[in-house]
Amino acid sequence: MEGRKKVKDEVFHLNTPLLESINMSKRVGTTVYLKMENTQPSGSFKIRGIGHLCQQLARHSKGVICSSGGNAGMAAAYAAQKMGVPATIIVPSSTPPLVVQRLQDQGATVKIVGKVWDDANTEALKLAETEGLTYVPPFDHPLLWKGHASMIAEVTASLGPSVKPGAVVVSVGGGGLLCGVIQGLKDVGWTDVPIVAMETVGADCFNAAVKAGKLVTLDDITSEAKCLGAKTACKQVFDYSQSSELTIISELVTDQQALHAIQTFLDEERVLVEMACGAALAAVYSGVIVRLQNEGRLPALLGPLVVIVCGGSTINMEQLTYLKHKLQS
Amino acid sequence: MAEVFHLNTPLLESINMSKRVGTTVYLKMENTQPSGSFKIRGIGHLCQQLARHSKGVICSSGGNAGMAAAYAAQKMGVPATIIVPSSTPPLVVQRLQDQGATVKIVGKVWDDANTEALKLAETEGLTYVPPFDHPLLWKGHASMIAEVTASLGPSVKPGAVVVSVGGGGLLCGVIQGLKDVGWTDVPIVAMETVGADCFNAAVKAGKLVTLDDITSEAKCLGAKTACKQVFDYSQSSELTIISELVTDQQALHAIQTFLDEERVLVEMACGAALAAVYSGVIVRLQNEGRLPALLGPLVVIVCGGSTINMEQLTYLNVCHA
Repeated sequence: MEGRKKVKDEVFHLNTPLLESINMSKRVGTTVYLKMENTQPSGSFKIRGIGHLCQQLARHSKGVICSSGGNAGMAAAYAAQKMGVPATIIVPSSTPPLVVQRLQDQGATVKIVGKVWDDANTEALKLAETEGLTYVPPFDHPLLWKGHASMIAEVTASLGPSVKPGAVVVSVGGGGLLCGVIQGLKDVGWTDVPIVAMETVGADCFNAAVKAGKLVTLDDITSEAKCLGAKTACKQVFDYSQSSELTIISELVTDQQALHAIQTFLDEERVLVEMACGAALAAVYSGVIVRLQNEGRLPALLGPLVVIVCGGSTINMEQLTYLKHKLQS
Repeated sequence: MAEVFHLNTPLLESINMSKRVGTTVYLKMENTQPSGSFKIRGIGHLCQQLARHSKGVICSSGGNAGMAAAYAAQKMGVPATIIVPSSTPPLVVQRLQDQGATVKIVGKVWDDANTEALKLAETEGLTYVPPFDHPLLWKGHASMIAEVTASLGPSVKPGAVVVSVGGGGLLCGVIQGLKDVGWTDVPIVAMETVGADCFNAAVKAGKLVTLDDITSEAKCLGAKTACKQVFDYSQSSELTIISELVTDQQALHAIQTFLDEERVLVEMACGAALAAVYSGVIVRLQNEGRLPALLGPLVVIVCGGSTINMEQLTYLNVCHA
């Protein structure tokens, strides 16, 4: 591959398509727009925030280090490669060989440490300090949120000056994407646009915190939506949930509903996304939006819905078959 | 009104395809266009030029051209009429109607529908949208090459461009686009499937030929005669167009591999282009000396297409795996 210059102002993410989904619009009764973050380099929205963070912190660094084998790791590896700095990804031994291979194909050095993510993360933080590497957090950093916020500015431009969303639908893992969306809505003066924040049962740290009125730590992640699998939401997203200035509606779907969503999306929109993304899509396919309207929590006459299709590359046809066997029997 | 209806689609590097070919492979993701395929580029441009104050547009394609015509007409606020033969699946009719078009079922095969569309265009004063044979279509399609240039940056030139060929509209657009940016020396690998190979047949015969029938499952490549312009291009010494064929099995394998590795489901017609990588056509052309051994980056046009779903994929597997 040809070499890349370190360009100070270069962004690594793309202005992704905003596509109207006729099928989803029919289901909801209002126009549904899909922000296709699955078409980002490295396969998910994460390149926005991680690209921004790396540009700000890692430009003259000895390299970046990350403890995610998933989409954050792929984004970190991609950003580092574009910047011409080394990337080290620490993963636990439970990580599938295919994941390790994909990270290596993206130019990263992969080290296998410990049995669970916490072990890998502890090692990553340690090496960041001892080796002088830039640590790339998965979701809890203002630079990540600032990077993610760019998607809302793009949505504004795509919709045109006279169109305002009736609501935005996002998946929530640790809250990084949600913080970015909120930041983006603030930037364009749309803080009154409600956000429907979707999680799966068993990977619902944000919903648990909202219900408890304080941050909680889940004992375990029991959902198949592994990429939503943060045990504790970040403090910023919890603070947002308590703010009277914002309308954040925290909802849950089951793994079965998330799976049904990714199957329907594949069939009707011809794109295969992860279960984590399916949580957001299920807001439409499993009638969450319509129920919220019936409950009076969203307006009956709803403006256009903007669904963030976060994407995710840790899914393939074999994984889809596995999920079907596990969840549908 | 200067509005264009198509998007500047992502150009994505495919690591998996790059490993297979031994050079960087970029994918121009035309599947992410509104209406599901690259066709909105040319049809959007043609409608903007010809249909702005028209009584409406009329088209005889139930497939991607029809969807693009319906979409463009809806954006322009003019009526769209799509004439389709009775063999058209109800799902296709429904999708066109959902896009705001009036659908009329006429005749048994495409030729019947097209004759009716041309007739109504004249009697009703509607703007006829041709599927592939019009300079305005090619000019519209050409925009994708300008975008590729901008995405690659000033110091990167493709080693080759890979496209699927039906009637030749996309290929003409790609050639137009390469001319516009001064890249006429970039070879084009023009892919078709056996049984939907009117361009390859013309190149082999040294003249335009009309196929008796379309026997490939890649129905969207199913033009029986290539357009004259694309044949003329194939005879030009200024251009390097390499016409290659793959089987339906190879196109099917390509769309399954693409779905598994790139997480996008495309039509068989698109699979023909992808099979240039997955079935080793590029590597073979290098071994034969028809492409350089040290090849610059490959740009594959992922034309997309919306007449595919999981049921159709299952059907194709049952018939052709």
